Amino acid sequence: MNDISEKRRRPVSGRARIPLDGFGFILPSLILFAAVFAVPIGYVVMFSFQTDEGASLDGYRWILDSNLFGRVLWTSVQIALLATLVSVILGYLLALFLYRLSPRKRAVGLAFVLFPFWTSILVKSYSLTVLLGREGVVNSTLGWFLGYNPELPLIFNRIGVLIGMSNHLVPFVVFPVLANLLAQDRNLGQAAAIMGASPFTIFRRVTLPLSTPAILAATLMCLIISFGFFVTPALLGGRTDVMLANLIDLFTRETLNWTVASAIAVVLLTASIVLVLALSRLTGQQKAV
Amino acid sequence: MGKRSSPSRRGIAEWLFLLLIGGIYVFLTLPSVLTIPISLGGSRSVTFPPTEFSLDLYRRFFASPVWTGSLVESLIVGAATAVLATLIGAFAAYGLARGNFIGQKLIGAILLSPILVPSIVIALGVYFYFSQMKLIGTTTGLVLAHSILTIPYVIVVLLSGLRQLDQKIETAAGIMGASPLRVFTHVVVPQLRYSLASAFLFAFLISFDETVISWFIAGTHATTLPVVMYGSLKVEVAPEIAAAATMLSLTSITIILCYAIFQKQEKSAA
Repeated sequence: MNDISEKRRRPVSGRARIPLDGFGFILPSLILFAAVFAVPIGYVVMFSFQTDEGASLDGYRWILDSNLFGRVLWTSVQIALLATLVSVILGYLLALFLYRLSPRKRAVGLAFVLFPFWTSILVKSYSLTVLLGREGVVNSTLGWFLGYNPELPLIFNRIGVLIGMSNHLVPFVVFPVLANLLAQDRNLGQAAAIMGASPFTIFRRVTLPLSTPAILAATLMCLIISFGFFVTPALLGGRTDVMLANLIDLFTRETLNWTVASAIAVVLLTASIVLVLALSRLTGQQKAV
Repeated sequence: MGKRSSPSRRGIAEWLFLLLIGGIYVFLTLPSVLTIPISLGGSRSVTFPPTEFSLDLYRRFFASPVWTGSLVESLIVGAATAVLATLIGAFAAYGLARGNFIGQKLIGAILLSPILVPSIVIALGVYFYFSQMKLIGTTTGLVLAHSILTIPYVIVVLLSGLRQLDQKIETAAGIMGASPLRVFTHVVVPQLRYSLASAFLFAFLISFDETVISWFIAGTHATTLPVVMYGSLKVEVAPEIAAAATMLSLTSITIILCYAIFQKQEKSAA
């Protein structure tokens, strides 16, 4: 590999940085990204503005006129917000629990968060279909207590999607919140305790306010991931739980309307970029403090 | 105020908190491990808890050319992706960590952005693009697309590895006349071997589990295990899925354990 950086010699100086920019090291990845990431996204944007007859705004006109799009967008927003809310609450509690453990126990506790994090979403979705069905584990366990199977409708509806998505998102909350809690100055809590504050008061007045940036970051992260979700709504949702990603799939494979599929993808991408920019501003502020 | 009465109340609160945490842990981990007992329960009834012990589902899995073919394809794509992503990602991480060039921050953000762009958007774009390049349904196409998705993770793992290295050694090698590339291959890579191994394994795992992009571009010739699983889960749940899911789970467990071992090794080596 004949790098640019190799051709220019490094001046003999004590500087730790690679003086000749080191751009050559980046180059292979940039070429790959241009070819397999930038160009494809360019295709999506381009296709959203053209039909078979040439340039057109039909895709976006459809988005503005169609009831279907409005409904799916509203469903996506609702599901994303609810799944995020549930995940942030559960993830925060888990992070709080891990924070109070000794480092050794914390590593074990964290391993049981990492394991589902690295498990395929298909595996989790499949298990949930076994757990949540009318004859599933949850219903039959409840039936064992109640004496009859309540046949709660837990799957192929909104509840199934929310359970599946929260299950996937909780680790994304645990990691940033735990990092924040561990970085907090323990003296503050101790000072509050000395002055007579109860553990709950310390949590409410010291720990929780100090962890708001992490909560906000985790919220944005969950929204980014859940808004574009594809697998869970398709496998655990019902007919009315179609999200934007599923609509894109529908228009690409069934309806074969690439213009509309691309226009929806551009809307989704724009929403994600806005959320990502909010996230990067937030984390930038945190670093500045 | 009320300090005397609080310990018992606090005890109850603490107990409730732990109960809640236990519940969250069950909710979080049960779906990831449940497939293992299901897969060993035999094919007559796919239920939990299993009523009998049998390897029947695995026999059926390995007797089916669709399932085994997809498993082999997944292994090939995963391995090739891991090689490509680790190689390119290692260069990129080193350039980002030690370089000094225009737009460094922006380039770093671009290289990490596939984590935050919805997979469906990448999938759609790659589908259009590969249709024209005749890469739909090819192993090459899958490896290229998966590499884009895994390189960010490789870079993150390696950047944290690079932060722990003593830069003075690299500077010394440079002073003694080693070119940056030689410093990288002879000084940095050997020290970074545990991080590189972790990055390789995670790249393999991400590729091995990847569903959305593969669903769009795998075609009929290069279907991966997740694509067959997703297709089957969408229509009618084939019993072999339990066996396939267990293989995915066991791959995750193995890779996390290896990662833990590497981290320990790295610590004891430092």
